[in-house]
Amino acid sequence: MTQTAAIFLSAYRELSARRLFWLALVINVLVVALFASLGINEQGIGFLGWTFDSPFYNTTTTSPETFYKSLFVALGVDWWLGLIATLLALVTTCGIIPDLVAPGSIDLLLAKPIGRARLFLTKYATGLLFAALQVSVFSLASFAAIGLRGGVWEWGLFLAVPIVTFFYSLLYCICALVGMLTKSSVASLILTLLAWTVIFSVNLSESIVVAGRIANSLETAAIEKELAAGVTKDGSEPLQEDDIDALRTDLQKAKDNRTNWDRAYFWFHGIKSFVPKTGDTLELLDRWLLASASMPTRDPDSERGPQRAFGPRRVKRGEYERALKDEERSRSIVWVLGTSAAFEAGILLLATVVFVRRDY
Amino acid sequence: MTNGSTAGVLAVDVDGVRKTYGRRIRALQGVALHVAPGEIFGLLGPNGAGKSTLVKVLMTLVRADEAHGSVLGHPVGSSAALEGIGYLPEHHRFPAFLTGRQAVEFSGAMSKVDRPTRKRRAAHLLDRVGLGSWMDRKLGSYSKGMKQRAGLAAALVNDPQLVVLDEPTDGVDPVGRREIRDLLVEMRAEGRTVLLNSHLLSEVEGVCDRVGILVQGRLAAQGTIDELTASSRRYEIVIAGEAPSWCDAETRIESVPAGTLQSVGIAGAGTKLMFLGLDAPGAQPLLDRLRAEGRTVVSVHTVRESLEDLFLRAVTDPSTGLILKPGAAR
Repeated sequence: MTQTAAIFLSAYRELSARRLFWLALVINVLVVALFASLGINEQGIGFLGWTFDSPFYNTTTTSPETFYKSLFVALGVDWWLGLIATLLALVTTCGIIPDLVAPGSIDLLLAKPIGRARLFLTKYATGLLFAALQVSVFSLASFAAIGLRGGVWEWGLFLAVPIVTFFYSLLYCICALVGMLTKSSVASLILTLLAWTVIFSVNLSESIVVAGRIANSLETAAIEKELAAGVTKDGSEPLQEDDIDALRTDLQKAKDNRTNWDRAYFWFHGIKSFVPKTGDTLELLDRWLLASASMPTRDPDSERGPQRAFGPRRVKRGEYERALKDEERSRSIVWVLGTSAAFEAGILLLATVVFVRRDY
Repeated sequence: MTNGSTAGVLAVDVDGVRKTYGRRIRALQGVALHVAPGEIFGLLGPNGAGKSTLVKVLMTLVRADEAHGSVLGHPVGSSAALEGIGYLPEHHRFPAFLTGRQAVEFSGAMSKVDRPTRKRRAAHLLDRVGLGSWMDRKLGSYSKGMKQRAGLAAALVNDPQLVVLDEPTDGVDPVGRREIRDLLVEMRAEGRTVLLNSHLLSEVEGVCDRVGILVQGRLAAQGTIDELTASSRRYEIVIAGEAPSWCDAETRIESVPAGTLQSVGIAGAGTKLMFLGLDAPGAQPLLDRLRAEGRTVVSVHTVRESLEDLFLRAVTDPSTGLILKPGAAR
């Protein structure tokens, strides 16, 4: 325990000696100050005395509590913590493992009565300290801002600390492995960013396939419903022979496409099972934090806005988006966190074995 | 000093230490090293002879292919052994963001020293190595010599029974070197064992009780400097005038074995007679003969090899007379 505490204390001293650490903390507070300066009223959204009229976001559709929680998740977590702060954290912490194994530095630590695996994993954990501290400060500031501006003291905001730290650890384990193998901070940063891009691409591809598959499913159901009803989509007149033929052709096409979507889903979902679910992990916060709030959802009959790529032509946009959201939220937490944790454990195991077996 | 239950046990007692890097570089080829408790042992050898590898094997930085024996009575590389060791590596790199005090306290914490004790020892040890007024400044602002002193303090913070120092005076000025040598002697007086790895032969000769010379991964010699230089011990007798005719092998005196007597002329100052490997009683017939012949004996003194001579002899191939190639055996 003495050794672990000493390593963490030293890591904190190292982080606090870096300007980037303090810069990131200041930006954290500024980001929270920015969304605390936003307000919601009967007309729309207010910002420093100005009001921007919005028929969708106002106090008749959205409570201040929900408004601020949405800001916290969409602006704070998805953009700030999930992207910019993560980049800053990677830049700050990418040198921890290369510094650990640098000649002259590793000698001082391995000569102490501490197991190699424990030393490596503790050092790895200190790399997560940066992310955890930044998210804690951000969550605390957001908690105060939402409490003061929205009138709700939402303890659930602090779920961001474990979730975002776990999200960060999915990338940082790659950084640690590359740092271990190459002993180079620059190489570990670049290869981690590259890996992140690959992970993002896999996740995005799978999302597109899932969206296409749902659209296909809704489209098929809509055609079958129209054929069964025997009237046009608006219900104004009975279907003509030509209309029925066209519908049957579309139905056949949709069924043919179904096979393609299923095959694509099998492969992309399979591949995704082996990579960390970075997006789905952050989505958990959205799921848990906003599910309880009276979050406004698009009217199922709404047709506003452009249709998404691969979107169904015979289904209203609101219904399609609901189906997508339902699919997103129906994903098992065990699958999201479990497979991601398995990936991280695998990478860490490899890095630990290299660290333990290497001569210095 | 930590009072372990290792009284009478060799501080370092290892045999058959082998290490091959890759498949070709045989860094250690069955080294046996025995260091008694309470002594200062100097580990010598040319570059690449395997000194650092041997130290790293003892400190668990390098995994030996084969190693038998113990350190402080515990298996080599065990946690129990490491708890009793203080180590200062060559080219160490303490984190620049720590102050001297924080670095020493960190070292203590990693050696499982409790908080009050390590705080007290850090202040005391930094004062002892001359960094009393610098202990709260960041190591990044220290000179190389100051970092070396801080490293020594860090190596002692766990009150070790065995102190392993790799080039401890590297980068230290002459005054600092003297202070570090004094510190080594103090450590010995406190009952600690010191394993000193150094290139500076004069430094080793000045403080070490015993030395070991590693050459191409093998221990070429191990013992006290007296033991190792015994075969080279000789008497040098300077006489006025030319060398006596009986100095050559054919006319030698009976009590002086063949090949042990040499004469060297000293320009304008007489002749130097050297009797190799003779003890004091053995030299008496020679002195009697010189006096009987009425020769003036200017001086008589014993001479032995310096550590440098011994070192050079150890690294010289006896069959060719050439210096062995530096580096590990391939």
